Amino acid sequence: MKFELQHIVPDPLKGEAFLADSVWNQKVGFGSPEKILLNASSGKGKSTFINILYGLRKDYSGALIINEKPVEQYSIHDWIELRRGDLSFIPQDLQLFHSSTVLENLILKNKLTHQYNESIIIEMLERLGIGDKIYQSCGTLSMGQQQRVAIIRSLLQPFTFLLMDEPFSHLDEKNTAIAMNLINEVTEERGAGYVLTSLGSNHDQTFNRELNI
Amino acid sequence: MLSQLLFKKRNTLQFIFATAGAFIGLTALLLSVQLIQDVRGFQSADGDLFGPNMVVIQKKVTRLTTFGMNNTAFTEKDIAILESKDFIENVAPFQSADFKVGISEVIGDGLPHFYADMFFQSIPDDFMDVDVDWQWNEESAFIPIVLPRDFVMLINYGFAQSQGINQISEDVLMAARLTIHMEGNGKREKMIGRVVGFSHKISSILVPENFLSQANDKFGSGKKMQPGRVFIATNDDSYGALEELMEDMNLDIDKSAIDVAKIKTIVSVVVAIFGTAALIIMLLSLLGFVQYSQLILNKSTYEIRTLMRIGYRVNEILRSFMIRLSIIFGVICLSSIGIMLAIKFLWINVFLEDNGIPAVNTSVLLLMITGIITFIVFIGANYVNIRKSIISLGQGS
Repeated sequence: MKFELQHIVPDPLKGEAFLADSVWNQKVGFGSPEKILLNASSGKGKSTFINILYGLRKDYSGALIINEKPVEQYSIHDWIELRRGDLSFIPQDLQLFHSSTVLENLILKNKLTHQYNESIIIEMLERLGIGDKIYQSCGTLSMGQQQRVAIIRSLLQPFTFLLMDEPFSHLDEKNTAIAMNLINEVTEERGAGYVLTSLGSNHDQTFNRELNI
Repeated sequence: MLSQLLFKKRNTLQFIFATAGAFIGLTALLLSVQLIQDVRGFQSADGDLFGPNMVVIQKKVTRLTTFGMNNTAFTEKDIAILESKDFIENVAPFQSADFKVGISEVIGDGLPHFYADMFFQSIPDDFMDVDVDWQWNEESAFIPIVLPRDFVMLINYGFAQSQGINQISEDVLMAARLTIHMEGNGKREKMIGRVVGFSHKISSILVPENFLSQANDKFGSGKKMQPGRVFIATNDDSYGALEELMEDMNLDIDKSAIDVAKIKTIVSVVVAIFGTAALIIMLLSLLGFVQYSQLILNKSTYEIRTLMRIGYRVNEILRSFMIRLSIIFGVICLSSIGIMLAIKFLWINVFLEDNGIPAVNTSVLLLMITGIITFIVFIGANYVNIRKSIISLGQGS
């Protein structure tokens, strides 16, 4: 999977001056299997960046080219196919179904492509320390627990690139490390890459590349 | 699991209202269709109330006519005026015999001896209101004759009684042959005729048109005769126009024909009102149901959007909606049809039969077809609306 950003400036940031190595208003290219960290303080547009790459925001100038094709040519159906088999996503607001249980949330995603069987999913939950929450509705979980559900959900599909928007913001160091390991394992196994946004921490990881805003 | 998620937030009360609305709307629609069909059924049960209205018109005979100062014949111009009227579908002048006609018994056929002067007229075959074998050619054994039913009544209940002779049944009259005496143009001939039927509507003695044309050629004076009576076929709702025409052309029209035109006009107006009401009701209940699905869509905005974000295709979400709506609306349709059938068989038919009107059951099929068509239209309208809404939710901001 390949992304190419050509002088993208989100509408809310119009008129601002950007650094020479910023992702905004520059020509930037990346793709699988690169592991990329996007480090910046809040309010600089990290979520905007991730949401633009995932096709959720279109309020920007400049051009985004995914797999050699400008995104203007992607219909809603093309985006859905991309999200189903190539591109996975952990949104900052997690976007879980709060009235459904943890397992229902995960099965709903897994049954699209039958990525894993249920026992592996339960293993993942146990590994991230929420094995006892399987039948609890997501709405009743803490933010940290919800984050871990969203992390697992993002892995329950084939992908070559994973977009993660501050996925560990509510996790302690120990749990972050466990989750990071799981993510690394799965992405390496699939030869996939990712972009991880973070509020200044590099989560004790080494990345192939760091992008700035 | 998908439909559980999408329909979880359904508000039961709103659901009940929307379903009840669609149910009442559809039942009202079916009721209207049912009534329209039944009314049409009554029309076809009685020939007088069905199809184009056949009316015999003639000009009024006035005192001036009697003194020979006024002519009751229809001129070519009159016919052209009639033909130009929108409400008149067909115009057919009566053809009259241009020669002397008399009838007498055929000896040995059981009729007493008699001789009477007569006249013949003919009308185009399409206008015949009696179903008889009306074919005639030169090889035919007899000339078919249709008499007005009133004529038989007059003989049996007037003439026969006063003269002290036996009454004659229609069957006897139809079994007996008659000798037809024709004279004119210096020629004289006898032929055999037979009464083949009786007309309710036409007070004339009718013979087949082709026979009369040939006879006129043979015995007639050769003068072109202007018809004194004209047959017109009018539209169902022509009562007003017919009355106006009567005034304008000083016409004399059979009272019962006018009454039939009046009834037909009223019936067609009522049917039109019912039809319009049915259409409005259907549109209203369609709107109600689209509103209902829109309600579910609005309540599930987050779910639909998120599903597309995690890779659910538009059609997968749409299918879930359509299956659910088809079940709900299918149940509504079936209940409406069921209730309508119950109303028809347990109430309307019983009511009609109690009043001596045979119940028509063709509308049951129509009821089903209407139900199915409404189902398809409802589901189709919802499909278009929901698909559009889902796609618009999936587009990024």
